[in-house]
Amino acid sequence: MEKCVTRFSLKNISKIFFKKNEDAHVIEDISLDVYDNEFLVILGPGQCGKTTLLNIVADLLPKTKGEVIFNFEEDTDPGKLGFIFQRYALFPWKTVMQNVEMGLKLRGKNKKERRVKSQEYIDMVGLQGFEKSHPKQLSGGMKQRVGIARVFATDAHVILMDEPFGALDAQTRYQMQGELSNIWEHKKKTIVFVTNNIEEAIYLADRIILLSGAPSKVKAEYNIKLSRPRSLTNNDFLELRNTIAKNTDLVL
Amino acid sequence: MKIMKKIIYILLPLLSVATIVLAWVLVAAPEESQMPGLAETGAKFIDVMTNKISGATLPIHILVSLRRVLMAVALAMVTGVVFGVLIGWSKLFKSLAYPIFEIIRPIPPIAWLPIIILSMGIGESPKIAIVFISAFMPIVINTFAGMRMIDPLLFDAAKTLGANKRQLFFNIAIPACTPAIVAGMKTSVSNGWMTVLAAEMIVARQGVGFLIVRGMQNGDPALIVVCMFAIGIVSALVSVGLTKIEGVLTKWKNA
Repeated sequence: MEKCVTRFSLKNISKIFFKKNEDAHVIEDISLDVYDNEFLVILGPGQCGKTTLLNIVADLLPKTKGEVIFNFEEDTDPGKLGFIFQRYALFPWKTVMQNVEMGLKLRGKNKKERRVKSQEYIDMVGLQGFEKSHPKQLSGGMKQRVGIARVFATDAHVILMDEPFGALDAQTRYQMQGELSNIWEHKKKTIVFVTNNIEEAIYLADRIILLSGAPSKVKAEYNIKLSRPRSLTNNDFLELRNTIAKNTDLVL
Repeated sequence: MKIMKKIIYILLPLLSVATIVLAWVLVAAPEESQMPGLAETGAKFIDVMTNKISGATLPIHILVSLRRVLMAVALAMVTGVVFGVLIGWSKLFKSLAYPIFEIIRPIPPIAWLPIIILSMGIGESPKIAIVFISAFMPIVINTFAGMRMIDPLLFDAAKTLGANKRQLFFNIAIPACTPAIVAGMKTSVSNGWMTVLAAEMIVARQGVGFLIVRGMQNGDPALIVVCMFAIGIVSALVSVGLTKIEGVLTKWKNA
């Protein structure tokens, strides 16, 4: 695999939340490179600071120490980062179509261009017929489909996904994983996907970065060579799952 | 069985209304009672619908009162939403203006009346001013609360989609707090309606509040009862209308 082009790098990122009684060291000295067009999964136990790390990359949270260095040809349009949230974060007063259009609208694209492009991604996530629905009328899985379409429609180079399927029931979750893997193979984006679910990580990732419990550091790195689409019951899959599970910190 | 139940649930409300009417008739029956009877009230109703009191029939009096409320509420909507949004958005503006608002807010609108009459006279503007005071407060409070309760996640989502500060304000903050603004508007209209009646009872030549006091001064209890009914019915209609408007503006919430 050619993974030589670095999309962005994290250099010695640390994050401390300063609180009244004691300071919480959430992230300690994490450095890693993210390569072009790879599917990188950041795997770690609950409360270990994965979400914090992603928020720092997206500039939604300030970092205590370190640097995020992007390697883009042009820093402007189209947006370099897209973010998919665990709690969907759809705009409840907007329809599915308007939600998907939002990124293009904020960038001042005209209505016709927005419509065409948004429709393409609504179709991609299988929501045709729901363009005029409001988020409240959709199931969790459908809401996250809107979240995915909304980000893809912006042409972001890098898509950050924060436990995007964490709130879904198991059945929907498997289905969404399959579709995401499929979409990624067709659209070739750089995806950084955060999860605490080992199977999900192995199912989706080119590369897994395993984090330790808080404060989180990089504990191990795994290159996943299994061919896609992957089977959850394949022997290599199960073996890998055991290896990673043994290496994962337990957090209560 | 099912049909029986249905009939019972239709009959029960009728029964309760009938009880009230019966109570009314009984209270009004004795010769020395101040309470006007059904027939007397009905006759008075027809009378005020056709004959003018103080230059206006009942519908005109109602419209005069409503006009005061609507003008004051419209003014309160514009200023209150701007004020509430500003204290919700800008820390600087909040520290400047919010303390003053909190000091003035607990003063009941009616308590303003003497000072307003002294400074503005007895024309139309003092009435609108006092209704404005009562309508302004709930709009500001609701708008401010609405601004503060916006899920920060929505701002994060918009930021990652490329929104600048101005877009966060107009594309996220304003639509997100629209339901709160509309709820404030409902409270402000009903507050305004109460205040206008009180203001008219003290100083006015037209309006339902004036009419009801005229009934008291002339020893005309039938007129008082007609006005009370009119006030109740108008309140109910206004509230139904506002709920309809709310439904349209916040359709996405109940979809």
